[in-house]
Amino acid sequence: MHIPDGFLDPFWIAGTYAATLAYAVYAWRRIRGLFTREQVVAMSVLAAGIFVAQMLNWPLPGGTSLHFVGGALAGILFGPWLGFYVMALVLAVQTLVFHDGGITTLGANILNMGIVAVLAGYYVYKAIARSLDGTRRARFIGAFLGGWLGIVLAGLAAGVEIGLSPSFPYGVEISVPVMVTWHAALGVIEGLITALVVDYLYQRHSPIVETAEKIAAYTAA
Amino acid sequence: MKGLLSRYRGALIVAAALLVISPIFGVVLAEKVGYHEPLDVAAEKLGLEEHTIAEWTPFSDYTVPGLPDTIGYIVAGAIGVGVILGIGLAAARLAKR
Repeated sequence: MHIPDGFLDPFWIAGTYAATLAYAVYAWRRIRGLFTREQVVAMSVLAAGIFVAQMLNWPLPGGTSLHFVGGALAGILFGPWLGFYVMALVLAVQTLVFHDGGITTLGANILNMGIVAVLAGYYVYKAIARSLDGTRRARFIGAFLGGWLGIVLAGLAAGVEIGLSPSFPYGVEISVPVMVTWHAALGVIEGLITALVVDYLYQRHSPIVETAEKIAAYTAA
Repeated sequence: MKGLLSRYRGALIVAAALLVISPIFGVVLAEKVGYHEPLDVAAEKLGLEEHTIAEWTPFSDYTVPGLPDTIGYIVAGAIGVGVILGIGLAAARLAKR
């Protein structure tokens, strides 16, 4: 999912950086002055957890891999504005310290995994949890579908960005079906892990949930 | 500030345990199946040439200079967690409440 350097042309590099920065500014305006120290610490603990989870990279024969991304989880727990900052922190550290994802493509990677996946996870979870009266089953189904759709849409976005860049010679008609099909399959694992983590955190009355719920109440989209 | 972090002792212990086993996935199994980044594989299949870009990261691909890959993977992960929590604690100081 992390697009390396060299895949996007200057137009898409500038466009994805601009879109990500615009979202960052808007998200900051929505949360400015509202969060507490406790919530910032909770966000960083979640970011650290997602960072570690992404290191559990399960390689598959044929040269690909399966690992948890965590965008939907961040959106479900912290909402679309703070969830964005959780993922932006993870992705920026991965790029700047470990060269995991390109510096020219950092805007696109945050757009895909920190905006698209976060928003999809947040809205799907919220809609299902609300329609099924917020029961444990509703949370599980909502988190599963949110995690699945988040990864599929993030894959779709990456496919469009790569396919429309002239450095990729085959265009969106190749890149999009490949990315969407592959991520629709991988998304089942993403959805399952998202659902299990959300269920576990709620059942254990984790301080992350308690802290996240306090701020989600007044930073909802 | 450290008191705020201590609430998450359980989560941090789980993260540390996952870090310790992470080389099984990120190094040992990766070597066994000849793993490369999926998009790098796609580029290779398409015959795309890689532009050499100066390496700016100190721990590229989760390695630590001078350490074997397995130990380096754990140490790199611990550094990443430290950087993230450090930024979080620094940002928390800026919050008013």
